[in-house]
Amino acid sequence: MEKIISIKDVTYTYPESKQPAINNLSLDIYRNEWVSIVGRNGSGKSTLAKLIDGLIESESGTIFVDGQEVNEENIWNIRSKIGIVFQNPDHQFVGATVEDDVAFGLENQGVPRDEMVKEVDDALKMVDMQDYKTRDPQSLSGGQKQRVAIAGVLATKPSIIIMDESTSMLDPNGRKTVLDLVKQLRDQQDMTIISITHDIEETELSERIVVLRSGEVVKEADPKAIYDMGSELTKYGLEEPFSSQVASLLKDGIKLPEGYLNEEELIENIWKLSSKM
Amino acid sequence: MEIIFKNVTHSYEANSPLEGIGLNDVSLAIHDKKFTAIVGKTGSGKSTLVRHINALIKPTSGTIKVGDREITPETNNKNLKSLRKNVGMVFQFPESQLFEDTVEKDIMFGPMNFGMSESDAKESAKKMIKLVGLGEEYLDKSPFDLSGGQMRRVAIAGVLASNPETIILDEPTAGLDPVGRKEIMDLFKNLQKQGRTIILITHNMDDVANYAEEMVVIHDAKVMAVGKPKDIFNDKELLTNDILTLPRSAVFAQKLSKRDFSFPQLPITISELTAEIKQQVHGD
Amino acid sequence: MNKLILGRYLPGDSIIYRLDPRGKFLITFYFIGIVFLANNVASYGFLLLFVLFSVYISKINLGFFIKGLRPMLWLILFTVLLQLFFTPSNDPIWHWGILTLSTDGMRIAAYIFIRFVLIIFISTLLTLTTTPIEISDSIESILKPLKVIKFPVTQVALMLSIALRFVPLLIDETTKIMDAQRARGVDFGEGGVMQRIKSFVPILIPLFVSSFSIAYDLAIAMESRGYKDGEGRSKYRVLSWARRDNVALGVMILITIILLFIRSY
Repeated sequence: MEKIISIKDVTYTYPESKQPAINNLSLDIYRNEWVSIVGRNGSGKSTLAKLIDGLIESESGTIFVDGQEVNEENIWNIRSKIGIVFQNPDHQFVGATVEDDVAFGLENQGVPRDEMVKEVDDALKMVDMQDYKTRDPQSLSGGQKQRVAIAGVLATKPSIIIMDESTSMLDPNGRKTVLDLVKQLRDQQDMTIISITHDIEETELSERIVVLRSGEVVKEADPKAIYDMGSELTKYGLEEPFSSQVASLLKDGIKLPEGYLNEEELIENIWKLSSKM
Repeated sequence: MEIIFKNVTHSYEANSPLEGIGLNDVSLAIHDKKFTAIVGKTGSGKSTLVRHINALIKPTSGTIKVGDREITPETNNKNLKSLRKNVGMVFQFPESQLFEDTVEKDIMFGPMNFGMSESDAKESAKKMIKLVGLGEEYLDKSPFDLSGGQMRRVAIAGVLASNPETIILDEPTAGLDPVGRKEIMDLFKNLQKQGRTIILITHNMDDVANYAEEMVVIHDAKVMAVGKPKDIFNDKELLTNDILTLPRSAVFAQKLSKRDFSFPQLPITISELTAEIKQQVHGD
Repeated sequence: MNKLILGRYLPGDSIIYRLDPRGKFLITFYFIGIVFLANNVASYGFLLLFVLFSVYISKINLGFFIKGLRPMLWLILFTVLLQLFFTPSNDPIWHWGILTLSTDGMRIAAYIFIRFVLIIFISTLLTLTTTPIEISDSIESILKPLKVIKFPVTQVALMLSIALRFVPLLIDETTKIMDAQRARGVDFGEGGVMQRIKSFVPILIPLFVSSFSIAYDLAIAMESRGYKDGEGRSKYRVLSWARRDNVALGVMILITIILLFIRSY
């Protein structure tokens, strides 16, 4: 597999802080991979996203994105390859209307207007917001605002999308539409997705989960192996997946196979047990 | 304090061309010392409802009784302190209300506005900072040097410090990680056990099932249902009309009922769920 | 906070909405200029008719315009009363100390009142039918010649449009913070002047803090989307000048000619 992001021995400390937010961290991310980065509030997840995009500068270590080192010289090139959807839907909406906001990234790249009109339409269609083209942000729900933010990112055709806790401020409905959209994008096009979250249920479809604590990678494995940690996950501020919570309560009285079972597998197993009776 | 809404209607910008309805003829009783959850979609009127309880907004028509206080459209803005002292309110993202240069002063701000002496307020600040899970050493820090989660706790301490009988919570755990969320929810449950009335606005149905004794469903500015969570989550009409979503345990049970299991009443907590499954697997 | 009609856009559709914002912007200022040419009953009446006709074809409820007067009410009342009682006259109807009431004074007071109505109605018409972003676009395009003297027109326009974009958000934020502090026992507008000023500290500090945090988040979001310094950008929004805009300008010339005629009549 080809590395698209390579982080090596990176440390970053916020100016007003003593403890480093990212502490000698190394991590590789591969092309077209879907990686979840999880951890408590303040574990360094969002700081990592900003470092990758060169929005803040690391104290030591190196970061390569698509073969180029993140530095003064390459920064604009690298940013054009990465799209980030941030946490607060209100704080990233630049345009006065939906279409203006989607166009913002294209305007920055100096795309001619005729092309821009087409790109904006296409991007809005991808996120199913074409009917809201001329609406102002105030009239949209949180989930709709985040979909517009995703459209704005898609319009510039990045190869990497970072979802930086983009669902954490949304209601369940909004969260669902945004997550469904990410899944659908993943199926439709080649794209590297990095999703930063503290909601374990959002990590189910990713290929790899990276657990951060105090700016360090403490675990890195596929979802099944991470979920297998069971109640140990709470140590990292995470919740045990619902199906393993159910399973561990059932094990006291019912014989279930060892290891993590997802919801379908668990239901299947329970059903088998009951039909044997 | 018993809280009683009687035919309360609230219109925004009444008599203007932009008029909108925030609450539509709401009658409702919220019982003393209970843990009541208020659920409903974004924009359904939940926040409008609770803001009436401490007269931050006033009804366009109807009355709200909070203990022996009555709030009507004519209620003026004076002399509301005794009401607001008894009704503490934790807003969504409450950390944005912090403004003093130390955590201690910020926690003391509410109590002193409500007439508590400086030494009592200091005492209260000490107690509250520990209650929300931060140490006394935080009292001298500037709230703006803290992390988001710590700021949230300081803001909550600032509301609790006036010792309100009724505590209104508007999605107090939004954006917190699961461990932090559970700590905060357990804190409120404990406060209720000590004799406070808790009113919680939330989108999290698991929290409703795990913590609330009563539940109010708001939809399109109207009260659609009031009752025990278990009964309401088993109300087919509310569920088929997509007004309400279910806790995860109930969803799990629904999936099992497609596989020869039967639940006369959907379980709503994980312990109910697993107890039911064990019983049915063992087949007695 | 939300009661200010002046400066608020009202979604809708009519010929006035469709006019080019640059034209509307210039026409509004031009009209405010020619209001001062009116000097008699007929000329004021004529301008009032024109404004009411514009309101009519805008398809907006007259109530919005009357509401627009409200924030200015005290200023209007003060000015009108000043004219009413302080216009010197040789032929007073009533006289007491320094106060003089005369037909001249009444006439001038009435003119002043109509002048206020004309100016407020026409500017309300502009803001109700033109989105803030269109106004900011107009300003950008009107200021374009200043580029010659290295004035950063595009940056200023972007700043303006972002500022406009964040006004409603900051209003929401203010309301929220005020509610939170009221719930903590703050009484706004009670007590002496010092007390009142002090009661705003718990609003202003959180508001500054959240404005800075919004600004920081926004700057990060803009940079991540490739915003450098405003150079080398293309533009998505374009304004197009149509025939109806020429017609509107023509109407203004006609109004001016008629006004000059009535004035000297």
